[in-house]
Amino acid sequence: MLASLFGWAFLVPLLPALAFIVIGLFGPRLRRLEYGGWIAVGAAFVSMVLAVLIALGEMASPDTYTSLSYTWLSLPANPTFPYGFSLVIGTLVDPLSSLMLIVVTVVGFLVLLYSIGYMHHEHGLPRYYAELSLFLTAMIGLVLSNNLLEFFLFWELVGVCSYFLIGFFYEKPSAASAAKEAFLITRIGDILFLLGIFIFFYVYASDGPAGLHWASSGFLFAYGNVPFLAGSLGANTPLLTIAGLCILAGAAGKSAQFPLHVWLPDAMEGPTTVSALIHAATMVAAGVYLLAMTSIFLGFTPTDQLAIVAIGGFTTLFAATMAVVNTDIKRVIAYSTISQLGYMVLAVGAGFAMVGLYHLFTHAFFKALLFLAAGSVIHAIGTQDLFKMGGLKRHLRVTGAAFAIGGLALAGIPPFAGFWSKDDILSSVYSVTGSHPDYWPFLLMAMAAVFLTGYYIFRVWFLTFSGDRTRDPTLPTPHEGPWVMQVPLIILSGFAIGAGLLIFIPGFANLFLLPGGVTALGIPPTYGTTDILLSALGVALGGGGILTAWALWGNGRIFRLPEESVWNSARTVLVNRYYFKVAYDAVGARAVYSVARAADFVDQFVIDGTVRGIEQLFSRISDRMRRIQSGVVSDYAAYVVGGLLAVFVLLLLAGPYLVNRIGGG
Amino acid sequence: MTTLPVGDFLALASGLVAISIFGILTRRNFILLLIALEIGMNAAILSFVYFAAFPQCVTAATCHPLTGQAIAVVVIGLAATEVAVGLAIVLALHRIRGTTNVAEANSLHL
Amino acid sequence: MRDLHQCLSEGVPVLGDSHVSLTELAFFALAVIAVATGLLALLVRELVHTILWIGIFFVDLSAIYFLLEAPFLGVLQLGVYAGAVTILLLFGIMVTRKRIFSRDAATGVGALPIALAVVTFVFLIGALGQLPGAAVPAASYSVASLSTLLFNAEAPYLLLLGLVMLSALAGAIYLVREGRE
Repeated sequence: MLASLFGWAFLVPLLPALAFIVIGLFGPRLRRLEYGGWIAVGAAFVSMVLAVLIALGEMASPDTYTSLSYTWLSLPANPTFPYGFSLVIGTLVDPLSSLMLIVVTVVGFLVLLYSIGYMHHEHGLPRYYAELSLFLTAMIGLVLSNNLLEFFLFWELVGVCSYFLIGFFYEKPSAASAAKEAFLITRIGDILFLLGIFIFFYVYASDGPAGLHWASSGFLFAYGNVPFLAGSLGANTPLLTIAGLCILAGAAGKSAQFPLHVWLPDAMEGPTTVSALIHAATMVAAGVYLLAMTSIFLGFTPTDQLAIVAIGGFTTLFAATMAVVNTDIKRVIAYSTISQLGYMVLAVGAGFAMVGLYHLFTHAFFKALLFLAAGSVIHAIGTQDLFKMGGLKRHLRVTGAAFAIGGLALAGIPPFAGFWSKDDILSSVYSVTGSHPDYWPFLLMAMAAVFLTGYYIFRVWFLTFSGDRTRDPTLPTPHEGPWVMQVPLIILSGFAIGAGLLIFIPGFANLFLLPGGVTALGIPPTYGTTDILLSALGVALGGGGILTAWALWGNGRIFRLPEESVWNSARTVLVNRYYFKVAYDAVGARAVYSVARAADFVDQFVIDGTVRGIEQLFSRISDRMRRIQSGVVSDYAAYVVGGLLAVFVLLLLAGPYLVNRIGGG
Repeated sequence: MTTLPVGDFLALASGLVAISIFGILTRRNFILLLIALEIGMNAAILSFVYFAAFPQCVTAATCHPLTGQAIAVVVIGLAATEVAVGLAIVLALHRIRGTTNVAEANSLHL
Repeated sequence: MRDLHQCLSEGVPVLGDSHVSLTELAFFALAVIAVATGLLALLVRELVHTILWIGIFFVDLSAIYFLLEAPFLGVLQLGVYAGAVTILLLFGIMVTRKRIFSRDAATGVGALPIALAVVTFVFLIGALGQLPGAAVPAASYSVASLSTLLFNAEAPYLLLLGLVMLSALAGAIYLVREGRE
């Protein structure tokens, strides 16, 4: 019965779109509705209900999927495309998209509800709610899209909304600059993504496994076909490898993996709610979603998989090291996001796409929880600097508890959500290291990051909530936010506790089983001896991190490195983020700018010079020719005589010919 | 019976045309320009009359033997008319510009 | 006149050469005079002298017409050219000169006009090949037949000539009317 809803899936993105239009047009006049905030919340709520119903329907009918499309361009068969070419727009309701739908709509609704309270005192609220609604539309559209081009379209739209929202406080130069930086760096990834699409198209457009002619179907994500890779590996492997790397680049840009990670910490210039929704739970997850979709429907070559594993594993450790020393509460959580996304990428690269998505599912909830809790702290005391906080657990009980729950989930302590998914990733990757020994270094990096994760998140908790330091008297007395802020915290805390356990419910686990005989590995997690040992190791690492944090920062202690310590230089490097931004700026300023200057030179002197040169040539010619008209009659007479003589000459030359033609006169 | 000289006549007519061209191109006085034109036109009229005297046309059915002279009559009239109008222009120019130098009448806006 | 012609039809020995008929001699002399007076008319310094030379030129041409057995045209030439046109030109000169016996602006001769004139002369001489080599006798006609031709077959042209003259008259009057500043 619920399956009949699948045809109405297009309503889910449509409602926030309507909210966007309404708020955009009438927002400033809706003062009583929080300038359109309640409209956005209402639309998000209805979308959430619809999405949950669709997901329930999908859970109830495993092994089914519904793909509905509308063909808006269709070319008949011709020599270039032996089976025709068409472009479609449509929805795909399958376990993958239902899972993502839950994530996006639930977190979206809760964040919107929270913003009512958090953003109450800001300016430009209609713009905020309109842009958030547009973002929800784009993200849901991306999740529901059923063909690669539509996916790319929503991908770009999501990036645009991210730009708008990061630059929400556009009067601040740092915010405007951060928005531009985010957009440009994801743009680099997007261009490579598009290149990857073109390469896939080139390889698969006109042929492909029997029955699937990709171009004629409009680049659909189609079940029931063996992934391309099995069919035509060998002939096209170099091209496919490059295409896979391009897709990886696009995902790395969107999910802030090394080396395109620099934009995410700076994106914290946007409001905290934006960070919670976009840069923790949804948009950055789109990259992982792309990788999962590609591995399921298109396929990665072994080289690609190694590259993905490498990038994911490296990023987990890389970002965690930078989180360890940061002093801004939001930026620590941002680095944590990058690190956790590395885990997901690692899993997808090793061939466990659904395990990666499982971690995406749990991570969305506890990361959003962490961000919203941080937002509550910022709302209470007005600063983001960790060293100005302290002893808040007396004043902000709910927030403190929520942050602790989120932190425990992040560190991977059972029975919180993060434990189940992160542990599943580690054991799944471990299980294939036998056949892929080159995954070992990255697995070790990921495990080291577990320790750092526990450390840095509880460093934040202890600095913020525990201890008893004297407060800066200029800051206001902290108090909890209104109910619209506390309710999402409580709900997300519930998710952070229980989301991991959901997978052991058979109905829910159906969301991780792909139709068409494509098995999902690692779901639900199994617990043999090796697995239990690994889990214990993970818990030990996480707990060790927490204890270290308590030792250094708990109870009001402030840990400072001695001046002459050798760790100081390492710390400086970390604080400066490995000087990545400096390097990028230098490359941009030197290399790109000189290319731009050369192009400008060509434009001004070569092209414009040619144009102006032609203009001057004609001008001079006409100036000379103008002098024929001297006004003196004798000159004109001379021209006439000259013309007469020319006629004589012509007659002389053409005489015999003319005589013959006229007929022997 | 008079005989028609051939080479002499051609030299005369060509020479008169050449003189006329020379006069038109070099003389700056308007009246001298007219005189040079008249010399040339007379050369043309002379040619008409000369060729009218050729007996070849007598037997041909397509032309009347006296057509050349008839044309000469009409052209003489036209040439005289043209001189008259030219002189009117000279007088108008002299009244406006005070000169008969054609080189000074070199703009449309008198 | 005709008797005179017939008297002189035999050749007059000139310079011991082949017999050159009197008409040819006369034509040659008249041709030389025509060229000479034409050049003189254009080259003298005094404008009034120009008129004298051009008058002689017209009379000379009239004589040539008589030689060419076109008596009507000869008289016409005398009347129109040697009479009217010469006087017209004289009036033009009288009205437009600033001082008596002065001459303004005869420029020097340049290379280009002479070159153009010479080239034209050469081209026209080239028509020599089209003309019959031997001397041919001239055909003569009565004036009455010329008159018949003019007023019957060629009458339209005569009428047109009349109209042109009328419009030229009107135009000339308009050009020199008093109101022009």
